[in-house]
Amino acid sequence: MRAYLSVFRMRLKMELQYRGAMLGGIICQMFFGIVLVALYNALYESKAQVMPIEQVSTYVWLQQAFFRMMVATDQDLYDKVKTGNISYDLCRPVNMYWFYYTRIAAQKLMGSLMRGIPMLIVAFLLPKGWGLTLPHSIPGLLSGLAALFFGLLCMCALENITMAFSMRTLDPRGMASLLSLLMVTFSGNLLPLTLFPDSWQKVITLTPYAQLLDAPIRLYSGEYPVSDLPVILLRQAVWAVILILLGIWFWKKNQKKMIIQGG
Amino acid sequence: MSYIEVENLRKTFTVRKKREAGKLFREKEIVEALKGISFTVDKGELVGYIGPNGAGKSTTVKILSGILTPESGRAEVGGRVPWKDRKEYVRHIGVVFGQRSQLWWDVPIIDSFSLLKDIYRIPEKDYLNRLQELTDALQLKSFMRKPLRLLSLGQKMRAELCGSLLHSPELLFLDEPTIGLDAVSKLALRDFLKWENKEHGTTIMLTTHDMEDISALCSRVMVLGHGQKLFDGKLPELLERFDTVRTVVVKYNTENPKLVLPAGVVKDKKDDEIHITYSPVDIPTADMLAILQNAGTISEMTLQSENIDHLIAAMYKEMDL
Repeated sequence: MRAYLSVFRMRLKMELQYRGAMLGGIICQMFFGIVLVALYNALYESKAQVMPIEQVSTYVWLQQAFFRMMVATDQDLYDKVKTGNISYDLCRPVNMYWFYYTRIAAQKLMGSLMRGIPMLIVAFLLPKGWGLTLPHSIPGLLSGLAALFFGLLCMCALENITMAFSMRTLDPRGMASLLSLLMVTFSGNLLPLTLFPDSWQKVITLTPYAQLLDAPIRLYSGEYPVSDLPVILLRQAVWAVILILLGIWFWKKNQKKMIIQGG
Repeated sequence: MSYIEVENLRKTFTVRKKREAGKLFREKEIVEALKGISFTVDKGELVGYIGPNGAGKSTTVKILSGILTPESGRAEVGGRVPWKDRKEYVRHIGVVFGQRSQLWWDVPIIDSFSLLKDIYRIPEKDYLNRLQELTDALQLKSFMRKPLRLLSLGQKMRAELCGSLLHSPELLFLDEPTIGLDAVSKLALRDFLKWENKEHGTTIMLTTHDMEDISALCSRVMVLGHGQKLFDGKLPELLERFDTVRTVVVKYNTENPKLVLPAGVVKDKKDDEIHITYSPVDIPTADMLAILQNAGTISEMTLQSENIDHLIAAMYKEMDL
């Protein structure tokens, strides 16, 4: 257990070193946030939708703030596969899956908090309909946070599956871009899931991608009542377990078939 | 029972060839990296493992360090099978891959060490003692708080060694540890390895292309080629087999020395030096020297055997590697 906590701490520390990248990330995500909100404002000007504009802009800002949590990849890990430095990790007395899982979790958590908190403060100061609104209620906020934690578990599991894929293909980019297409579409990053047709939503909200950020955001904004929390958490937990088991299986298979090329 | 026992170890890789014109699918080719290797190593031995690139040296190390699983064969290290129960096994071994890095790129190396402490569950007291010992032996103090990216190659290798030995492994694998190091670092590294071997009785298995590493460190050498073991014994024995030519360079005080040389000996005059090339198998060196002394008064003489790298090259050639 100590090894996993230790690598978690170490990765947090490492993330803190990249303050330049953090600033760049904030600016980039702020830009996307403002463009998206402007777009929805223009859309609402001509024809208002069922969902109030304040809720849409809140949704967009929360998505942008935690974007890093969803799509951040640990380039170091992929480089390990590419250069063969992974050999060293393979001869450590740790479970490889969980060793990398905790590392990924640390990066996603620290990376997104460092970017997300300043962004949300700025977004909160923007005028109504353009910025972030307060949570629907205190229980709403708390259950949103709980759901975000479970969402994080799913995100790390997804990332670790991509990692396992990269051990086969050596280059994660193909797989990663395919997965991130699914991700931005079905997680609500591209278009809030609440704006999809109702019949679509029934299916989309069941996918693992909807568990990542969509569910926590809807709890925050009160679109999902707090009483739904157990069902939501259960759905997230089921996905987390499935994705983790899939990842473990994949890793095990890789370890049996592995080749370390070149010397 | 020996500490390391390897019997008939085989490993094959499947390599996909480039698609040939006119064919729909790529053909697969099976490369036999190890074709049934057997050897034993006793505790506390310092063994050199040599062979040309692609001979299967690293593959052996990777199997014995629990990273790769062999196709067939048996291997036991201290009664444990490396690829079974990997987690328990690797606790007792240390590995240094000369071309790779285990330390974190942009955090101080001391932090990488403390992560290793947690990974190997080293008790705090043991860790501090061992760290102190290694810091002194490897002279790490001046750059302990620097991140890896700022270190020179020599410093990096010393830090890597420290990382691999923190948990006091019984067995240390070194895969080309002196690659790219300057003379001073190489000497320091060899001294350190000797010290570690003597002080803690650590069994060391070393692969290298640097014959100086072998002659300075290893009491025993194994030669590997095409996935097979070709030689196993002491380095002088190995050299003797290929060290077939000697050269003596003599200078005489006497004008026109009367040299009567047996058949098969080559004489070559360069200025006032005479180069004589002979084979110690045909004429014992003692006899050769007697002949030279009888010819006149010698002012200077040097006896040269062939450069060790040339010998190894000749050996690889003869063994068709």
